[in-house]
Amino acid sequence: MAFASCKKSNDQNNDTLLFWSSNNRGEIEFSEYFVKQWNANQETKIKFQPVPEGQSSEEVILASVVGKTTPDIYANMWQGSVEMYAKAGVLVPLDTLEGFTEFIKARCSKKVLKEITSSDGHIYQVPWKINPIMTIYNKRLLSDFGLSKLPNTYDEYFKAGEKIKADKDNDGYIDQWVGYTAVKVIWYERLMNFYPLYIAASDGGALIKDNKAAFNNEYGVGVFRFLQELYQKEYFSKERLTAGQDRFITEDLLTQWKGPWEIRHVDKFKQRDDFEFSFYPMQVPKEHNGPVYTYSDPKNIVVFNTCKQPQKAWNFIKTLIDKEGDKKLLEITTQLPNRKNLETEEFFQDYFEKNPKMKVFAKQANYLKGIDNCEVIVEVFDIISQEYEACVIYNKKTPEKAIEDAAKAVNNLLKN
Amino acid sequence: MQMNKKWLPYILVSPYILHFIVFVAFPVLFSLVLTFHEWNIISPMKYTGLSNYTKMFNDRMFWKSLTNTFKFLIIHIPLQIVVSLALAEFLNQNIKMKGFFRAAFFLPVIVSGVVVTILWQQLFGFDSGLFNRMLISIGFEKVGWLIDPKIAMGSIAIMATWKNVGLYVILFLVGLQTVPVHYYEAASIEGASHWQKFRKITLPMINPTIFMVVILSTIGGFSLFIEPYIMTGGGPLSSTMSSVLYIYKQAFQYFHMGYSVTLGFFFAMLILGVVVIQKKYIEQGDD
Repeated sequence: MAFASCKKSNDQNNDTLLFWSSNNRGEIEFSEYFVKQWNANQETKIKFQPVPEGQSSEEVILASVVGKTTPDIYANMWQGSVEMYAKAGVLVPLDTLEGFTEFIKARCSKKVLKEITSSDGHIYQVPWKINPIMTIYNKRLLSDFGLSKLPNTYDEYFKAGEKIKADKDNDGYIDQWVGYTAVKVIWYERLMNFYPLYIAASDGGALIKDNKAAFNNEYGVGVFRFLQELYQKEYFSKERLTAGQDRFITEDLLTQWKGPWEIRHVDKFKQRDDFEFSFYPMQVPKEHNGPVYTYSDPKNIVVFNTCKQPQKAWNFIKTLIDKEGDKKLLEITTQLPNRKNLETEEFFQDYFEKNPKMKVFAKQANYLKGIDNCEVIVEVFDIISQEYEACVIYNKKTPEKAIEDAAKAVNNLLKN
Repeated sequence: MQMNKKWLPYILVSPYILHFIVFVAFPVLFSLVLTFHEWNIISPMKYTGLSNYTKMFNDRMFWKSLTNTFKFLIIHIPLQIVVSLALAEFLNQNIKMKGFFRAAFFLPVIVSGVVVTILWQQLFGFDSGLFNRMLISIGFEKVGWLIDPKIAMGSIAIMATWKNVGLYVILFLVGLQTVPVHYYEAASIEGASHWQKFRKITLPMINPTIFMVVILSTIGGFSLFIEPYIMTGGGPLSSTMSSVLYIYKQAFQYFHMGYSVTLGFFFAMLILGVVVIQKKYIEQGDD
């Protein structure tokens, strides 16, 4: 991180653009592929490097902003962070660049465009990729326990929980559960449990609307109650199961809430060749009708205002997110491009035929929500997380009271 | 030559002075200025007067974090002293493999705090942790070492004691070896028991070491961070939210730099106050 805030190297001149990607292997391979192609044909060269090592890429980016050593282009910015940087004036408003608006309108849905438009009316991020959160399940366990259909509603999920809950080694303690989700109170864990369930129940409802808390409703309360009951009835474990073995792979869990990254992980580490799994949407209340929405976990591309040639930076970014770029993203990283009609577009069909598990995510991509544009969204999630812990995990508050307290605290925060 | 002699002391102290200005004086003064501002690192600073201070006095979570830190100290310091003194006393006897034991007790001190914390997290596991497995095997109930709000801080204190005990064992050992042997010989001739010799000779003689251990443990305990950060994230129900963890959260999670620095200043003053009181109390005991 210290290096991120140090002076830029001398070999970076006006004709070279510095491009940082995330440091996971797939994205490095993806970036190297496109940088090589670009550099072979263009006068302005791209210098690529993965984001420097740090506790998190967010911290590294922050350090580089403070030290004014930001790259020209950064691919992997969490959508929730963009508003803060935009308000600080360190990002280039991309809608002022030639060809941006037309291109992005052709690629993304109106809903996505609305989501990424900042409060000042400008667009500071290129919607790039998504990892929709869905329910992964173990097919063998499902049939072994006589579950004829997937537990889609809260009630069905409870019933599955009752059937599956077991003490396999007879030590008096449960060691098989219907599911597991992180119990840690840190804010980002709520992006994998409360938030996608809330989006599912509310058909893509907002957490913040008109600068006020918008989650104090039947859906927010319902999700807290659903999760609280899962812990009370011991259908979920309160222990940090992730600290040891992966309990989905050891077949102690029927389901988990995960994104498409889990496909490669399970395929790589599964302990039996006949281990079969797939994905289905998040659980919803029984009265819910229609398609089930979820959280898209969007990561986007930004251009920092230290960039001397933003137009050329955009021209390069276009190569990453045109049809060919998006297909490469699928093939190399197993992540979905944030592109409309992904499920039906002919160009991508051969990929989905070869990767049927990804097809499920492509279908889900029609029903997604990202993050509300709010400068203090991390604090909002932290407040929800505190109440989540008190209510869901430790049963110290009723769901109604916990959600009400969270909404009050969020409103106080937004007032200041 | 005269000129050189005049300037030589200044030249010799200049590296320290420079280091002090850059790494101590400037950050402290800058932080003091920051306590009167709101600043998220990337936007310009905004003057807010005393609002950070008034916010601090009304911030329930900060006071809870202070209470948690004191709870940790109340468990950790006595435990640290008793365990390390007992081990030092053991090592001060004529036992075999003394060198091995010294090294073994000191080993956790040099192991990274993160590694130790992750290791203990496994040991404290509710369903699969070694401690609970042992309890079950002898017919006891499982304990929510890190998931029970009443117990979690105690568990962290046990771990922190294990991690640091080796350092204090060495300090006590040095203290014990400075006690003249003829005091014990005279006491033995007078018929004093082991316990009497320990109370009447050892403890008074190693009082300066005890003072040092108390001060070091207090300052170390006040800076409790890695353990709750990794093991519990400040939970369950904020029961392990230490003051330093809370200050870190304000600074690097919410980017409230001005506010976090205000908390930091207050906390530093508090540590200073506690150490001064401890010093006076122990010195009174000496008299």
